[in-house]
Amino acid sequence: MTTIAATAPAGIRFTRFRRAEFGALAFFALVMGLPVAFLVISSFNIAPPSKEAVYALDNWTRAFSDPGTLSALWMSFLISITHLVPGMILSVAMAWLIARTDMPGGTLIEFLCWFAYFVPDFPLVLAWILLLDPNFGFLNTAASALPFVQGPVFNPYSFWGIVWVHLSTGGVWFKVMLLAPIFRRLGATLEEAARVSGANNLTVIWRITLPVMLPGVLAVAALSFIRGLESFNTELLLGTPVGIYVYATRIYDYTRHEPPAFGEATALGSVFLVVLAILAYFYQRRLKGKKFTVVTGQGYSTLRVKLGKWKRVACAGCLLYAAVMMLLPLGFLVLGSAMRRYGFFHISAPFTVAHWQNMFTDPLFFLSLKNSLTIAAITAVAGVALYSTVGYLLACKKLRSAPALEMLTWLPWVVPGILMSLGLLWMFLATPLRTVLYGSVWGIALALTIKESPVCTQAFKAAFLQLGGDLEEAARVSGASWSYTYRKILVPLVAPVAATVGLISFGNALTSISTPVLLYSPRSRPLALLLLEYSFSGEVERAAALGLLITAIVSVIMLVGRRFVLPMTGNISQ
Amino acid sequence: MAKPVLEFLEVAKRYGDFNAVERMSFTLSAGEFFTLLGPSGCGKTTTLRLVAGLEEPDAGEIILNGATIASPRRGIFVPPDKRRMGMVFQSYAIWPHMTVFENVAFPLRVRGEPAQPLRKKVLAALELVGLSGLEERGATNLSGGQQQRVALARALAYTPTILLLDEPLSNLDAKLREQMRSELRALQRRLNLTVLYVTHDQSEAMTLSDRIAVVRQGRAEQIGSPVEIYEKPASSFVGDFLGRTVVLEGSVRRGAGGFTIDLGGGDRLSLDENNHASFAEGETIRVVCRPEDIRILAGGAVGPNQVKARVNEVAYLGDRLEYTVGACGRTFVIFAGKYERYPAGADIRLAFDPAHLMLLKLDP
Repeated sequence: MTTIAATAPAGIRFTRFRRAEFGALAFFALVMGLPVAFLVISSFNIAPPSKEAVYALDNWTRAFSDPGTLSALWMSFLISITHLVPGMILSVAMAWLIARTDMPGGTLIEFLCWFAYFVPDFPLVLAWILLLDPNFGFLNTAASALPFVQGPVFNPYSFWGIVWVHLSTGGVWFKVMLLAPIFRRLGATLEEAARVSGANNLTVIWRITLPVMLPGVLAVAALSFIRGLESFNTELLLGTPVGIYVYATRIYDYTRHEPPAFGEATALGSVFLVVLAILAYFYQRRLKGKKFTVVTGQGYSTLRVKLGKWKRVACAGCLLYAAVMMLLPLGFLVLGSAMRRYGFFHISAPFTVAHWQNMFTDPLFFLSLKNSLTIAAITAVAGVALYSTVGYLLACKKLRSAPALEMLTWLPWVVPGILMSLGLLWMFLATPLRTVLYGSVWGIALALTIKESPVCTQAFKAAFLQLGGDLEEAARVSGASWSYTYRKILVPLVAPVAATVGLISFGNALTSISTPVLLYSPRSRPLALLLLEYSFSGEVERAAALGLLITAIVSVIMLVGRRFVLPMTGNISQ
Repeated sequence: MAKPVLEFLEVAKRYGDFNAVERMSFTLSAGEFFTLLGPSGCGKTTTLRLVAGLEEPDAGEIILNGATIASPRRGIFVPPDKRRMGMVFQSYAIWPHMTVFENVAFPLRVRGEPAQPLRKKVLAALELVGLSGLEERGATNLSGGQQQRVALARALAYTPTILLLDEPLSNLDAKLREQMRSELRALQRRLNLTVLYVTHDQSEAMTLSDRIAVVRQGRAEQIGSPVEIYEKPASSFVGDFLGRTVVLEGSVRRGAGGFTIDLGGGDRLSLDENNHASFAEGETIRVVCRPEDIRILAGGAVGPNQVKARVNEVAYLGDRLEYTVGACGRTFVIFAGKYERYPAGADIRLAFDPAHLMLLKLDP
């Protein structure tokens, strides 16, 4: 009892710690910084990829002299802002109804939003085509049966069609999920004080609730706007056929030229990076000022606004919105996948399971399924392993490079998937990585893992911060080595978070199109891109079946996750 | 005297520009209950964490039982798991995914203790802290007091060289805190534990400790027994931190009448010359005493070591009275029993006890 077992050299644990820190920094700099650098450098390269580089300004001059480039950028903004406005109004109203009023069914509506958020958007776009297509869309066919109606009433292949579909896919659900907790957290006392001071319901909403909520609402709006800019799927299916290009589809278009116009694509990508950097700068500044206007209060609100006879109307309105925007298209997806020829109800035996049978006997389908599951599994495992480490490093306050590391982890959040893949594509092509990563499931999994960085890192960081350092240090003082502590204390405690992060990464990897679209090859084609190919080749019935299948897989994963993982998280956090 | 268990020598720790611990030194002997006492942010917890090995010092040496466990100069740093310490965290740090038994068994398990003796030791530790029968309980289904006991049992299960306690009682309610305090003291005596204790609560420090180090801005301002530091604080900070004090200023007069302090306005205090040889004639000094050492007398002619005063305010505290009085150009608060009543505005006398006056040079 009088001797100490070992005298280790100074800072052994810090050396290991530093090594992890530098490792994480190097990794992010490599997989995030390098693609961006390649993107910018390659935009000056006028030689095709894998040929000797020739540097000149041609790409930039061509990109800017092409009126299509600027109009594509402008269209991105226009579409994003146009569906942002009604989306924000609707979602603020819904979040307020759910969190602050006595409207019945609030829990159900919130669950529907949560579910709808995880429904992949590509199948939904397909479903809206089934409903609104000028030639075979059900609503147009139905409308033409009415008197005085000639020709198609609806046209999804238009600016307003794209906006409409956005309101059905990401538009509202995501915002309600973010806003409802913010509304709920608003301290009851603020509103109660206003009521006691003599204000009626409307005055309280207008003078107290909304102004206090404004920073939170604005933050959600800014976030949605930037997310809207990277939109790809909807515009690809609905805009490209009629020549409406956003910058993401324009980049895709350039890469599909024969020969591929990588130069122009890259120049356009670089321009957009500049725009994003400016936007991100202002967003950060805005958030920094507002960060500490934390809305707190004692407990949850007990004072819910009484809607009286309007509460049923409000509930019906919310449910109707969910029904029209989510259940209706999903229903038509089912219908579409089960019809011999979609839209032809009058032919004999219009319904068939042939599309499903064909799909399940198609070797291409099985290859894609296998690819998809491989990619999703790699993404989930790599995401959990990588971001738990990064989250741990960020949470323990000993990190010297924390701000830089944190910024790098946020980068994929502002850099759209298609730009990320373009940068990665250049990197794969220009380095020895090409043999392993170019066109392989590994390359796609790497891109998807990077894309998951912000959410995963923040989830793990929050989990480790919540644990605090004491639990870990108590184990160390008790005599456990760092690795033993990691296995026996840290891993079991963050397991629920890891499971959630893993499931979300898995689901996102299954449905992502814009990230793998430039990176896949026939042997690594995932299901989502098979779906894209089906819908391009006009096989809507087959596409509907596959879209439905992907939706079902993701839904099951998320429901299982909600059922088993969330309760576990709840237990730990108590 | 036996060789000290822990020697903490001239240790410094910086966080950026902030000196958390500055050339702190102290030693711990076997079986001693040693307390680091100080306000929040004074570096006492950092000191404890340096001993535990959770922080690396920037300078100085830490020696445990004769072996250096941290010395940046010599490139030595023993990680916390190799130091054989036991620690109770302020938050208790009970692992929520383990039962009470598993929590307490952890330090034994990592050292590869066989199942039978392990079980015996864990149950013994739980019995020691009065938690027998709760071993299969989930660790999060415990009250604050029970969690604190689990943390203590965990620190004791493997007989530690030093038991480190970081404000272990601060999260308990007042009644429980007092109970745990006496239990902790009894336990330490019984097991002859060497304890390094951190607190900001002076009464906790006074009742528990063999010796106290009063810590201020990363330095040990004074180290001594509770009586020593209470009765003879080395600085006005120490005196003030340990309780309310009354501070007067006066100038030293040495003459035929012996050693006196002129407080101005005709008030003076006479003291025993021999104890205060270090003060020069005419030097302005600070006279510090505790309110409980001042007696209130009804107005009248002042005797030796008495000064005239006036009651400014009276507050009834239930068990006693709190007088805000003005004397010697200052205002201070003293207490009196509920049967000595003087109304506000009354002229009174204050009687000082020369044995309980502390004379301090003005802080530089």
